[in-house]
Amino acid sequence: MELKYLFNSLPYIKPELILAASLVIIVVADLIITKKKELLHYIALAGIIAAGYFVLEQFSMNAFAFSSSGNKGMLTVDSMGAFFKGLVLTASFFVFLFSFSSNEINESRSKLGEYYALLFGMILGMFFMISASDLILVYVSMELVSLSSYVLAGITKQSLRNSEASLKYLIYGAVSSGIMLFGISLIFGITGSTNLYEINYILRSPETNRVILLLAGLLVFTGIGYKISAAPFHFWTPDVYEGAPITITAFLSVASKSAGFVLLIRFIKVAFIQNSLNGYWQLLPAVDWKTILLVLSILTMTLGNFAALWQDNLKRMLAYSSIAHAGYMLAAMAVLSNQGLIAILIYFAIYLFMNLGAFFVVMLISNKIGSEEIDNFDGLGYASPFLGVSFAIFLVSLTGLPPTAGFIGKLYIFIALVDAKMFLLSVIMVLNSVVSLYYYMRVLKHLFLRKAEGAPIELKVSFPNAVVLLMLVIPVLVLGLYFTPLVEFAKNSISVLGF
Amino acid sequence: MNLYNIIFYLFAAITLVSAFFVVTTRNVIYSAFNLLLTFFGVAGIYVLLGADFLAVVQIIVYVGGILILLLFGVMLTNKIVNVQIRTGATQILPATIAVGAFSGILISLLVNTEWKKVGTALPGASTTANLGMLMMNEYILIFELLGILLLVALIGAATIARK
Repeated sequence: MELKYLFNSLPYIKPELILAASLVIIVVADLIITKKKELLHYIALAGIIAAGYFVLEQFSMNAFAFSSSGNKGMLTVDSMGAFFKGLVLTASFFVFLFSFSSNEINESRSKLGEYYALLFGMILGMFFMISASDLILVYVSMELVSLSSYVLAGITKQSLRNSEASLKYLIYGAVSSGIMLFGISLIFGITGSTNLYEINYILRSPETNRVILLLAGLLVFTGIGYKISAAPFHFWTPDVYEGAPITITAFLSVASKSAGFVLLIRFIKVAFIQNSLNGYWQLLPAVDWKTILLVLSILTMTLGNFAALWQDNLKRMLAYSSIAHAGYMLAAMAVLSNQGLIAILIYFAIYLFMNLGAFFVVMLISNKIGSEEIDNFDGLGYASPFLGVSFAIFLVSLTGLPPTAGFIGKLYIFIALVDAKMFLLSVIMVLNSVVSLYYYMRVLKHLFLRKAEGAPIELKVSFPNAVVLLMLVIPVLVLGLYFTPLVEFAKNSISVLGF
Repeated sequence: MNLYNIIFYLFAAITLVSAFFVVTTRNVIYSAFNLLLTFFGVAGIYVLLGADFLAVVQIIVYVGGILILLLFGVMLTNKIVNVQIRTGATQILPATIAVGAFSGILISLLVNTEWKKVGTALPGASTTANLGMLMMNEYILIFELLGILLLVALIGAATIARK
């Protein structure tokens, strides 16, 4: 590769460059600023906004970057990638805002520099995960995300459960990335290439060995499934979500999951799809991803929903609920069509607001009462009606009832499933939503219908927090009624480079 | 069987046997020393494959660096030596069946698959220069990203070590 290609590639990674620069700036600023550590919050927010500006540029781009002398490149910049990068940045923006008032983070203020530096490392890793089209880059970026999140899960180290979360995350993560690496090595062994586009080209020849590809595909899926917490790779989720600081839990449940999903979409669509017929993707005969995704999505959503029924800790319950949501999105993925891809994009955009919102309310309440147990939430809906009602809206939306945005998200997945005549899966999805109604409504029962024991607790929401909460509630309500712009936006953002 | 094969099987055996002892011994020190042999065996296989640079790095970094650090860690924390580590096996029957089935599948696939052969001849000259060219050209992005990965790992380790 000549230097010219390198220079030509640089404009395509502007957001990543900004993120890397922010990481370094935060490390340096942490050394210089000794008194007013709060400044770091603002530096971090500025970094996010600057990166967001350059992500907007990428919506109109469609190109390879870092290609070796004209070959298919290591990095793809396309509108689907830009959509998910925007999603990750929005999630980070909100999580940074949460961090201002999180007790857990404020109590370990001396670590604020490390906290943000690691978060930026994680975001950077996610960006490369989103646009990677080379398996080596996929692996390295996944490691970057994982390494930062292991430490972040245990950053406060106040309680035993914090360290437990970190250690469990590390052990599961190391095993699954090892398995994934083995899968990648098998793929390289058959095709002699790590580039997804070249792999696709080689797999088109009829004499490829299908059994080993199936094995390799499943092994790679283990690594991705771990990131999106799909069953049966979800075992870490409840413990880590419960033990990690709540800002990190919220971030993992949205951003980490979305980066994992893009990787899955890109891995399947670029490497294993022959062509697209009327918006339906025709799989290469190599691996039957449709059946695999179908089975896994049923398993994931059912397991997530049924396990959530018995949870008394709200973070744990939201962890299982996030597993269930991954199941719904896997169902949309199993359709293997443009319609399904649009549904995933819509669902993720909505899931971001409702899930972050739910975590934010839990954080605000547990800041005050110091617990996330459901019994301690008795009667709190009246202590602060604003918090109570917003929580109710988020939970109704997570269930998928109209007139909230969650309904629209589910509706589009449902449409995609019915369009593809996958009736069984759509029925199972509806039944699952009914099951989820029980555990979401159980929280509301505790909030509004149970009398609080002991002295009434005063819950005041400060003005900045109220603004952040409104920024999350309003989209959930508005997108439930006026969703055409989002749908149009998603329709325009599904171009995956090369197809 | 020629000399090449004999040497290969020798190193493979060293790797496997020592790896087995790493997991099964109850004493951490013995585990660490066995790990040394495992890394050494892998380095030998690298040499046989003509990956001279990789083999040397394996010895310098793993055997020379990481393992010595590990041993120091074990020796300086005197309590660890006496701690009985649980290496007992639970669910031994299902595990045996699962592992047996999986290794059966793997072995049959390894034997039956038509592997892609790229450049089967051993490189005559040193590979270091070519590796350097590749890292600074085609794989420059990954090389730089690894730099950030190491920075993040360093920050993370410092964060964990700090109270």
